[in-house]
Amino acid sequence: MTPLRRRGAALAAALLSTALVLTACGGAGTEDPAGASAETRTVQAGNGAVKVPVAPQRVATLGNTTLPFIDLGGKPVGVTAESDSDVALLSPDEQSRYKSATILAPSADQVDMEKLAGLKPDLILVQIPEPEFESIKAQLTVIAPTVFFGLDTEWKALADGVAQAGNITGALSEQKAAFEQRRAAVQAKYRGIIDRTSFVDVIRYSSSDPGTFAIADIGCSEIARDEVGMKFPKAAEGADPLAWTALPFEQIGELSKYDVITYPVDAAGRPTEPFKPVVETNTWKALPEVSSGHALGVFCPGNNSYGSVIRYLESLDRALATLPATG
Amino acid sequence: MTALALRRDGPGTVGVVPGPRRRVLGLVVALVALAVLLVLSVMIGSTAIAPSVVWDALVHSSAGIDQFAIRDYRLPRTIVGLAVGVALGLSGALILALTRNPLADPGILGVHAGASFAVTVAVGLLGVSDVHGYLWFAFAGALIVTLMVLAIGSTRQGSSPVVMVLAGVCVGAVLGGAREALQQTNPAAFDAMRSWNAGSTAGRSLDVVWPVLPFFAVALVLAVAVSGSLNAMALGDEMAVAQGVALARTRVLAIVAITLLAGGATAIAGPIAFVGLMVPHVARWIVGPHQRWIFAYSAVLGPVLLLTSDILGRLVIRPGEIPVGVVTAFVGAPVLIVLARRKKASGL
Repeated sequence: MTPLRRRGAALAAALLSTALVLTACGGAGTEDPAGASAETRTVQAGNGAVKVPVAPQRVATLGNTTLPFIDLGGKPVGVTAESDSDVALLSPDEQSRYKSATILAPSADQVDMEKLAGLKPDLILVQIPEPEFESIKAQLTVIAPTVFFGLDTEWKALADGVAQAGNITGALSEQKAAFEQRRAAVQAKYRGIIDRTSFVDVIRYSSSDPGTFAIADIGCSEIARDEVGMKFPKAAEGADPLAWTALPFEQIGELSKYDVITYPVDAAGRPTEPFKPVVETNTWKALPEVSSGHALGVFCPGNNSYGSVIRYLESLDRALATLPATG
Repeated sequence: MTALALRRDGPGTVGVVPGPRRRVLGLVVALVALAVLLVLSVMIGSTAIAPSVVWDALVHSSAGIDQFAIRDYRLPRTIVGLAVGVALGLSGALILALTRNPLADPGILGVHAGASFAVTVAVGLLGVSDVHGYLWFAFAGALIVTLMVLAIGSTRQGSSPVVMVLAGVCVGAVLGGAREALQQTNPAAFDAMRSWNAGSTAGRSLDVVWPVLPFFAVALVLAVAVSGSLNAMALGDEMAVAQGVALARTRVLAIVAITLLAGGATAIAGPIAFVGLMVPHVARWIVGPHQRWIFAYSAVLGPVLLLTSDILGRLVIRPGEIPVGVVTAFVGAPVLIVLARRKKASGL
């Protein structure tokens, strides 16, 4: 390439970059694409104080923020894909709002920035691993104000943050009240069982190795432990969650040291597809908890928004009601 | 005193070939070691179960939790390890004899690549989600790709081991890239295949072994049938022809046997590396260049290595486990290096 051509190429690249940045900036608010108020307010997030529109109209949700946002009544313009099984658990109205959004990527680390900028969002909500966020932070913040939540953000704080940033706090208040009522009701109704019973929650993922299961100390049993006060095993401080350790099926027999076993079922009460291989084993069938009615299928539609947690508590309530009286 | 004879280990290398009695004695020792490992494989697991309970589980139909653990998990896993080990050891010996390439293993003919690609297609595009569903895809993939490699490797002068190996490596590279591309577009498929890709005997019931056993039996017969011809071919194609060996027929039959054995083993347990590479070398160091003896030793030493690795994998990170394919690499690689430094590379 000649020096003249090289300079020409550099100039073209610079012009192209400037045009892209200007386009993105326009989407960020200078053109006010959705007619949102130009007024801003400041919210505190994992990436510090962020100025967001007072009433954002075009919200894109990446990673774990999609389902909480929809649960609060939000209608995102762009989302990262949720699994088919998670989408199937949403109500028809929620499914409709999810399906009306543009899918930006199969996962958050592959977000199509051009597609995202083209949606002209006025707010981006993100919950993904911090290193992944750091790698795309500059691109996101050029497109629109970006509110980031770390993975260690507790589910209630996430709901608060999503609601506040997205200006949908009305639904949040109602959900909080319903959650408190349900939690208190379960605690009061099963106080005796909760106090004297050791529980264990078992799980399998669709990605689990053949012939393995895990003890879940994250997910919905975390809600039962931390919010209801039920005694579930938990990994030692600083150790990896028990749910990350794949246990061979021959260890199913070890579950007999607990009083009650909970396991995942779908909305109709059938063992979830990944968990079916466990209930089909002879070892499971031979467990005293299973034969005595102390193995309870519990439906867990999610554990990071009030709506899904309330549905879990309702299922837990129904399951505990089936325990034999002497339990 | 056992008779000893001089043997040529390769160009410039002369070794000592043990006589028939020592070969038989060595084989008996290997069989005893295999029997001990079979017992240990049933006795040892991530749960401590008393030997009396193990015995009870094997001889009575008692319905305790521990008895089920023995009958439903450990016993099938041990049988899977035995079958896969025999198949990989024998297929490794066949391919070493066929290609006369000391670095050749079943994967080099495209067996692993074909099986993995077929399983990726099954999982990613057809939604197959468990090892029982993979089985026939893996087997078919291994068969088709090996036949492709055989066709590509056939020159006008007949089948050339060098061209065949080159074809296997090339086809394997292409399919590996295609598999990677498919997995990138569908991460869920990668998750579902993770355990199979690592090479594991865990969670395999006997349902996945029975359908493959007839193919193993056919391959065994073929291996015995071509062993004499492969012996003659070790001296060079011209010498073999002079002795009346039909080169093309021998190579085709050997490839069919390799594909049935390695394809079946891969379908059951995933691509387990190193067993097929290491075992025939060790067998050759012990018994010399006679193919029938190498085949016999490989068929015994294959499961010895596989079961040893599987038992180690169950013990190292209890209560979790390391897939046997990972352990065979960790155990096999250094052992092969040590043996190779002591014995020098196998002359072929």
